[in-house]
Amino acid sequence: MRGSGSARGREIGSNLVSPQFDLYVSRASWLHRLDPRTKMAFVTVSFALLLLNDQLTLMVAYLVAVHLLLRQAEIPWSRIRWLWDRTWLVSLMIFLLWPIFYPSGEPVLVGWRFIQITVPSLVEGLSAALRVIDLAFAVLVLLVSTDQTRLVQGLVRLGLPFEWGLGLAIGLRYLPLLHGTYQTITDAQRARGWSPGQGSLIRRARAYVPALVALVIAALRLSDALTLALAARGFQPGQPRSVRRPLRMERADGWVLGASGLLLVAAVVLRFGLP
Amino acid sequence: MSEPAVELSNCHYRYNGTVPALQGVSCTIEPGSWVAVVGQNGSGKTTLAKLCNGLLRPHAGRVRVMGQDARRQSVAQLARQVGYLFQNPDHQLFAPTVREEIAFGLDNLGFDPAEKEERLEETLKLFGLEAFAERPPAVLGYGLRRQVTVASLFALRPPILILDEPTAGLDWGRTKLLLERSRILHQSGHTIIFVTHNMRLVAEWAERVLVLHKGRLLADDTPRAVFGQPELLARAALSPPPITELSQRLRSLGLRGDSPSVEAFCEEVAQLVAARSEAIS
Amino acid sequence: MHPIVAVEDLHYAYPPLAPGQPPVPVLHGVSLSLSRGECLALLGPTGAGKSTLCLALNGIIPHLLGGSLSGSVRIGGQNTRDSTPGRLSQMVGLVFQEPESQLFTMTVDDEVAFGLESLALPPEEIEARLTESLEALGIDHLRARSPLELSGGEKQRVALAAALALRPEVLVLDEPTASLDPQGARSLLSAVARLRRENRTTILWVTHDVDRLPLLADRVAVLAQGRIVAQGTPREVFSCTDLLHQLGLAVPQMWELSSHVNRLWDTDHGWLTVNEAAEALERRLRE
Repeated sequence: MRGSGSARGREIGSNLVSPQFDLYVSRASWLHRLDPRTKMAFVTVSFALLLLNDQLTLMVAYLVAVHLLLRQAEIPWSRIRWLWDRTWLVSLMIFLLWPIFYPSGEPVLVGWRFIQITVPSLVEGLSAALRVIDLAFAVLVLLVSTDQTRLVQGLVRLGLPFEWGLGLAIGLRYLPLLHGTYQTITDAQRARGWSPGQGSLIRRARAYVPALVALVIAALRLSDALTLALAARGFQPGQPRSVRRPLRMERADGWVLGASGLLLVAAVVLRFGLP
Repeated sequence: MSEPAVELSNCHYRYNGTVPALQGVSCTIEPGSWVAVVGQNGSGKTTLAKLCNGLLRPHAGRVRVMGQDARRQSVAQLARQVGYLFQNPDHQLFAPTVREEIAFGLDNLGFDPAEKEERLEETLKLFGLEAFAERPPAVLGYGLRRQVTVASLFALRPPILILDEPTAGLDWGRTKLLLERSRILHQSGHTIIFVTHNMRLVAEWAERVLVLHKGRLLADDTPRAVFGQPELLARAALSPPPITELSQRLRSLGLRGDSPSVEAFCEEVAQLVAARSEAIS
Repeated sequence: MHPIVAVEDLHYAYPPLAPGQPPVPVLHGVSLSLSRGECLALLGPTGAGKSTLCLALNGIIPHLLGGSLSGSVRIGGQNTRDSTPGRLSQMVGLVFQEPESQLFTMTVDDEVAFGLESLALPPEEIEARLTESLEALGIDHLRARSPLELSGGEKQRVALAAALALRPEVLVLDEPTASLDPQGARSLLSAVARLRRENRTTILWVTHDVDRLPLLADRVAVLAQGRIVAQGTPREVFSCTDLLHQLGLAVPQMWELSSHVNRLWDTDHGWLTVNEAAEALERRLRE
């Protein structure tokens, strides 16, 4: 039997959140060196561009461009495939359902009772499907090239209170641990004869109480211990702090921000036309 | 010749498909024996222990529990025969009262209500938990939480008990209590498997020791035989209890160098001295 | 010579678990003192209040956890009640038992720098102290690694380095080796021993590891049910056999051996380490 996953695969929770909690891939590319705020601006502008418009050519162009960008930044295909694995199904569903629910225009390819599949709606469907993938890849660009610490640092520089940023950073850091704790907890309960598999959905949900309650208690204990650890390290909420490696905008950031600005203008013009 | 309690045949296990945790491990654990599994962190001790109750399935090789192939049974099914105590009690406590916590396993394994009540009361009494029966285990102190998880396991009285670092963080008094309760089960024929770093415990209580290093079984022998081989221990990055270290230091004076306990050491020394005074006179 | 740590008649009760319930008293008049450069080992059964005492030394009790405290805890003359855990962290460093729940950043250097950033020190000074701390514990090579990937012993050394970066004069170690394998325990304790030798750090070491205790501790104190019931040199404390037995506390195996040997040969040995026992027995058996 390959690994312990097959026996566990049937359990709720083990597959919902992939153990891939940290998408970051460490490389020394120009993309990695950009300030996280610049990359956040890029994501925001991408969202504006993709949500304000619906041209198929735009969606395809963006998809190609973002792949080139990622490869240029030395991001491995495995990471790119990871995202495709998680978005293709939703995308396909959109493509298949769109023409059924939003028939429009001519010519009609297929008609059956009240369902009309027209060419324009197929094009729209494809565009909508690709948009979802494009949006996901825009976010991937940020997450794959920015480590968690820098990400949170960026948010704090943009105005997030430090304590919130610390809470976020610690939360991210402990996700893998809590996932592991959950696995241990389910192991421990199974070793006591617990088998939640059978029965109705409600029955199964109730059956998960021993595992979930134990997890919540473990998480609470962890947060208690962390509070003490932070205090022992001199952390005082509200007090001024220094930063060992402060974020600094470089020339490259300027270029990317400038390009993003232009892209934003283009997005608006494309959508609303020139005044 | 009765069936072995647990039999591992040439077992291999890899975490995430790449990190080898066990390589070609074979061992036979006889029913009613007390076995200690030792090794550094990362040597494969816990992996081996988890193979014994189905929490992990080997990628190659075979595990038989009480004569049956473990592959055919789920962990919950194997729980009738093999009980597993996890190192951290906080990884299983969930019930609103100690009583319900202990009853959880009994319910899962389908004991009838009369038997269940009897075992529950007996266990609460045996472990001194009567006063805490209606309190939530999660708010008790660490020593008591540990007690509750041990009690939950012992209430089931499975033929084979695997205890993963059960004495970590416990003071000597509670450690001894745990060992004595394990001994009671052992004397009535249960098989006890301890995964531990505590070499004194191994030397004084175990009948057999399995030494693991980097996923391989380096030794499968009595404590005396294992502690009497300093090269083996060095290879496995283990150190013997102080008394054994001492007896190795005094080999040049005629000691065997494998004393597992203070009593054994003193006996050996007394014999040595007696032999000498006889030789002189 | 004023002791650097002076605990006088400390009584403490945790706030109630739920409203309407009584407070939870844990310490009932603890008096303890440590002189500069001394290492005191604190023994006691589980639940005696050892961790509570540790938290009272760096101000977490009472400032963060509340509860009712009477008596006093003075660190370098400063009463902890008149200070804050933030300021006290520069005088008392605390290392907890579980490595997992006291390392909360993504890299070792960020971890050690965290406390220094909390003090709002300039980046250059942070770097300097950071390197100093890492080198003192022999973990400079682990600087860029994630604490998640390290072994138990390495994690605890990172926790220690992070506490030391604040340059406390007193180090409180709350069962630092309990979660470690023997190799990890050895590496941590030898790092602590080195710190003592080089910096004359005062250490309060809560432990169950009586066999390793004599290698580091100058004095031993026994805490039971919120009170100090014995105090003195290791030999003095381990001689209280009845008390220790009653409390369920172990003595070093070599000490056990000396009791047996004393009964056998009518001697008065008190061995704490294998070396002492080996030397004495060699002499005796060569006669």
